[in-house]
Amino acid sequence: MNEAEVSVDYASIEKSLAELWRSENQSNEHAITRAALWNVVAHTGTQKDQAYASEVLSAAAAVVPQRTIVIRSDPAEPEEIAAWISANCHLVGGEKQVCSEEITIVAGGEAVHRVSPLVSALLIPDMPVAFWWLGDLPSDESYVDFLLSPADRLIVDSSHFGSVSDLVLLSKVARNTGTAPADLNWVRLEEWRAAAAMMFDPISARAWLQTIRRVRIVGTATTRTFGDMAESILFAAWLSAQVGHTVTADGGVQSASGPIEYALTTEARQRDFGSLCHVEIEFADGKTATIDRDDDRHVLVAALDGKEHTLDCVTRMRSQDVQNLIVRQLKRPEADRVFLRTIAIAAKLAKRLAA
Amino acid sequence: MSVLEPTLEPNPLREGLEQERVPDPSALVIFGASGDLTQRKLVPGLYSLAHEGLLPSGQTIIGFSRADHTDDSFRMAMREACDKHARTKPVDDAIWDNFAKGLFYVAGEFDDANAYDRLKAKCEEADRARGTGGRRIYYLAVPPDFFALICEFLGKLGMANDPEGDGPYTRAIIEKPFGHDLQTARELNRVAVSTFRERQVFRIDHYLGKETVQNLLVLRFGNGIFEPFWNRQYVDHVQFTVAESIGVEGRGNYFETSGITRDIIQNHMLQLVSLVAMEPPVEFEANAVRDEKVKVLRALREFSMNDIDSYAVRGQYGEGSALGKTAAAYRQEKNVAPESNVETFAALKVFIDNWRWAGVPFYLRTGKRLPKRVTDISIHFRPAPYALFSRMEGVRTHPNILAIRIQPDEGISLKFDSKVPGPAVRTAPVTMEFRYATSFGAEPPEAYERLLLDTMLGDSTLFARRDEVETAWEWLDPLLKKWEADPASPELYPAGTWGPEGADALLERDDRRWRRP
Repeated sequence: MNEAEVSVDYASIEKSLAELWRSENQSNEHAITRAALWNVVAHTGTQKDQAYASEVLSAAAAVVPQRTIVIRSDPAEPEEIAAWISANCHLVGGEKQVCSEEITIVAGGEAVHRVSPLVSALLIPDMPVAFWWLGDLPSDESYVDFLLSPADRLIVDSSHFGSVSDLVLLSKVARNTGTAPADLNWVRLEEWRAAAAMMFDPISARAWLQTIRRVRIVGTATTRTFGDMAESILFAAWLSAQVGHTVTADGGVQSASGPIEYALTTEARQRDFGSLCHVEIEFADGKTATIDRDDDRHVLVAALDGKEHTLDCVTRMRSQDVQNLIVRQLKRPEADRVFLRTIAIAAKLAKRLAA
Repeated sequence: MSVLEPTLEPNPLREGLEQERVPDPSALVIFGASGDLTQRKLVPGLYSLAHEGLLPSGQTIIGFSRADHTDDSFRMAMREACDKHARTKPVDDAIWDNFAKGLFYVAGEFDDANAYDRLKAKCEEADRARGTGGRRIYYLAVPPDFFALICEFLGKLGMANDPEGDGPYTRAIIEKPFGHDLQTARELNRVAVSTFRERQVFRIDHYLGKETVQNLLVLRFGNGIFEPFWNRQYVDHVQFTVAESIGVEGRGNYFETSGITRDIIQNHMLQLVSLVAMEPPVEFEANAVRDEKVKVLRALREFSMNDIDSYAVRGQYGEGSALGKTAAAYRQEKNVAPESNVETFAALKVFIDNWRWAGVPFYLRTGKRLPKRVTDISIHFRPAPYALFSRMEGVRTHPNILAIRIQPDEGISLKFDSKVPGPAVRTAPVTMEFRYATSFGAEPPEAYERLLLDTMLGDSTLFARRDEVETAWEWLDPLLKKWEADPASPELYPAGTWGPEGADALLERDDRRWRRP
């Protein structure tokens, strides 16, 4: 439940929050517990994105308690800075209310430069900071650096990326800053990675990974924008990273026994469960491993054409709502080392595969 | 290629996945597959693991019992069991269909050699068709009387091998009770290790599979602030409460031969005591952790039989009310003798004679038909060395208490005094609270899920080792024998209360009180 927003003086937000909690405790029939495991800062540029971020993070706060700060920052708007506060409360076990707070800051014109220090002052001490960037990353790296300085994690959604340069910027953030990038598109891939991994759990199947020759990845898209291809690129990069392929600067992929061919294609299909719909891995002996999305049963079905047996592997598709993807990111206490390894390769692969 | 496979490097595609720890597929044979435990805990737990993506493809489960089932009828029965008891409900048809492909059944008596031949053939078929590679886990969900028989057959047929090196493993899971006393426990262990090696034996105490119990180790050894205070210098005493609001619930037959002390204290509570009192292990590895737990059990002070009432109280529930309903006395329960002297409540004052805990009493109480179901540990700290504020009029200070709630509403709270706002110096106790549900939201996995997965992974940290079991019996045996030889009845307490008056007196003699959990 997101309680009504209260407009407050931006210079005394903490004081207003203290008053809010005092009045909540006095007026509420249920005991109230305040909790926070994260500071989550959402950066938006439009009113629509601001409302969306608020809705998503309010739902996410029910699962991962957090202090939410939603920023709407647009230098093209008239110069102003304003703030609102509200409480996000959720019943636990039908009796206890667990609450966290949401702060909204709107800044326009030159005032956008006052947002970062204000946010720094509002962060709960000793709790990690996740910065959720909605939309395309800005081209001005210094602005990103400035905003990100206190962040432990930068959450983006590469399905909104406009070009490979966004992936390169993400890779730079990972390399050059203490902020660990995280991608909602990467979370969408978790079940696909699990389905692929499951096929190679039997020890007899594991050696096949070294004989991959060709990988075909089919995504769902009506356009061939970079964002629409991002999930497929990440899957390809992950596979190569984990199997130990060498990826050259121009995106060529080599294994110890020869080149690997990647083919990324798209087909029109509903995207309730992310972009991917089919993966086919071909081995040196002509056998194949496939993963298919079964939209009716909400599962991925993987099949490996083995020498001695064929096993169908079923992986449950989890909800791909953005609040669930955010929650899954926040539930990871540390940076995802496999993702960090993957984006470095994805940036190289993207140049060739997205062409 | 042989169907018996060596272990290779981990699957690289598993790295970083939420399901990073997925075992190699094995054939899990459940002896007693038509029993309550299989239907309520084991198969629903295995299904939930499959639902979470934690079971490997090819994982095979073979039920073995007397009941007349085919593979298909066993699958149907297990589907019903999962519909009722699985943590992840409703059951997902797609996941179930795939899970059910790995369910098989062998009907037979435990003394029927032909049935074991059929079982062996079924396991070998799984190796060929499902890639289980010769790996076997035997879950003995049967009364201890059958252990010897089953182990003997498995040994004779070469189904209990434990090859050195990287060969396929064979493991046996044993359910409590691990004996009725020291002698029977030793006999059970002798039977188990006559067929299996100790490293192959996984003795399940489901308390150790609970998240909050595992968190005891993280709380103590993953944080820097607690351990310096975790000793006789700062701790006044420690209380353990394992309370159940229900009675024996149709288990009169079992309870009449067991009693609450064997049922709860010998295993669950002594596990909790050893985790709270143990020294830091040199590494987080099965034997290192269990070595330290055994040292605690070895340091438990023997009961003084001449003065037993100063250290131990037993009780039995009479008529009363529980959760708002009238409750019958224990002696009126089904399959309970009308003159039964079996204890349904026990409270003990225990000392651990070692450097860390010398002189610190550990109070344990457990009972049936208490006001509520709760398992709680509280560390009561000594007062401040100089009572600065207590000299002021109207000011009363309280001891600091670190309370660890094992179930339900799992969490940890710290109680301390704070100044009440205002011009006068007045203090009031306040608590800092951590609750799993508040901070982590998600429902923790069932204890059996974790323990089944650990067995498949070969991690025995959360299982009782032979010497733990025997040392616990060695300490408790004299008390049980003393009580059994005593013609006096246990002290009656009305159902729905916190036990007999003697339990309160046990602490009052030390100028202490039970904490209300």
